[in-house]
Amino acid sequence: MSDTVVMAKRLVKRFGAFEAVRGIDFTIALGECFGLLGPNGAGKSSTIRMICCLTDVSQGTLTVLGWPAHPGQRAVKRQLGVVAQDDNLDPSLTVRENTEIHGRFYGLDSCEARRRSDELLAFMQLEGRANEQVRALSGGMRRRLVIARALMGNPRLLILDEPTTGLDPQARLLVWGKINELKRQGVTILLTTHYMDEAERLCDQLVVVDHGEILERGSPGDLIHRVVGDDCLEVPGVDERQARAMAQFLDDYPVWTDRQADSLLVYGGQMDEVIDQLHWKNLLPRTYYRRRASLEDVFLKLTGRELRD
Amino acid sequence: MAVKQAPQEWAQWSNGALMVFRRDFLAWVKYYKSSVILNFGEPLTNLLALGFGLGTYVAKMAGVPFIDFIGPGLLAVTAMNAVTFDMAFEGYDRLNENRIYQSMITAPLTVGQIVAGEYLWEGIRSLLYGAVFIVVLTALNLVKSWWALLLPLPLFVTGIMFAAPALWVASSAKNHEQLFYYFTLFITPMYLFSGVFFPITHMPGLVRDVIVVTPLFHVVNIVRALVLGHLYPGLWGDALWMILYAVLFGLVPVRVLGRRLAE
Repeated sequence: MSDTVVMAKRLVKRFGAFEAVRGIDFTIALGECFGLLGPNGAGKSSTIRMICCLTDVSQGTLTVLGWPAHPGQRAVKRQLGVVAQDDNLDPSLTVRENTEIHGRFYGLDSCEARRRSDELLAFMQLEGRANEQVRALSGGMRRRLVIARALMGNPRLLILDEPTTGLDPQARLLVWGKINELKRQGVTILLTTHYMDEAERLCDQLVVVDHGEILERGSPGDLIHRVVGDDCLEVPGVDERQARAMAQFLDDYPVWTDRQADSLLVYGGQMDEVIDQLHWKNLLPRTYYRRRASLEDVFLKLTGRELRD
Repeated sequence: MAVKQAPQEWAQWSNGALMVFRRDFLAWVKYYKSSVILNFGEPLTNLLALGFGLGTYVAKMAGVPFIDFIGPGLLAVTAMNAVTFDMAFEGYDRLNENRIYQSMITAPLTVGQIVAGEYLWEGIRSLLYGAVFIVVLTALNLVKSWWALLLPLPLFVTGIMFAAPALWVASSAKNHEQLFYYFTLFITPMYLFSGVFFPITHMPGLVRDVIVVTPLFHVVNIVRALVLGHLYPGLWGDALWMILYAVLFGLVPVRVLGRRLAE
């Protein structure tokens, strides 16, 4: 138990005949930030709800903080902090009351709840708003408050379900900074997000899931290297004929190509040579971008490009 | 060991429920003025219009002046409404709109604790709104007996008794409109037929049989007896009915809400 915070073995979640999670295995180690990535409907929420002990495990085993996870497993719940996707703050209460009453739900006494609330509101830079109604807060402040609230019970595992969705860049940076600070304090974090730059920046380990199964796993850097290669050449405004010509020419190189809207993307190593050769063959238009491959490229390669609802 | 742990677990359990109650109280403190006026305006209007208006023509009802008769009846209605509308609308919103129940269940509370906390609050709420109405009845010299000092007891039970079905409805409703079915099909008929405005003794037998198994009827009997000081042994039956309702209805939302929260 000591080094493993969450352990899932052949974990399955069924709703009637539908299998939302189809036998996944993963472990979350103490102190790491673990990313659970995947398109909508991939099975992320079901997995998280099982870890939070909110819904039954249909099959397989799931151990959280050394305890089997099942609804009513309060030994686990007491050690979790949860930032839900929809920020379910209490609109009838003030900022401070929201944190305090949540701390009381976790069993803190009133002094402790007050002290911890002050501390966490300051940590999330909300101390000046303590007596305001939640309704008066901006989206970014609401999100920060949800995170402060989730920390009230001093959790050993913090679950962040899309913590920065809908935030402006400034607010996202602030939240990222706070998440990194929590990591340094040794809090284990489970993160889901649709922003790949966020996952790349915050996660130590991650899994990409789709249709209830794990497609790939590893550290962000390792995944990029292994799945798409380190470099990317992005050529915008390429028609079908040009794209085919380039792709054909590049068949002999250790690269692979991909179409995205009207762009052609070339992934792999030895990109200098590839660009030289394309130039030499007069196949490269005037405008192209050379960049490092990112987790977004990995994600799109693994889960495809069709829209999900 | 198990023997030693039991009281501590009970303390933890009840503390959780108390915190749900505390949450409701903190929220109420912010809007109590408008809420008290709303909940209390309607029965007061009823009392004044019917009592002094209709009361001039209907001299006596079941042996007492008409206004003396409907005063305690409307007290029972005030308690029922104060709880029913709050629990139905708020319960629905806490489950479907602001999802406060979800945040409570994620924090380590159980459905049992949430429901118990809500009942405790609605019991107190029934008491609070009832107390305001009792003050008015007293001012109009409509409280005839010191037995009225016992009113908090039935008022508290009334709160739980009506909170339970309202939370049940709130947990099952798909939208706000469905809540109105409950008000129109159950609450309004009870208001009109439970002996608030006239005794049910002269109603057709079948109607009477139905009324006797509805909850408000028994509240009206007890409240009226205590306000007027006309006590009789049959009231024990009413008290038993009330406790039975509170317990039977009270358990349903634990299941229904629990199922919704585990979806």
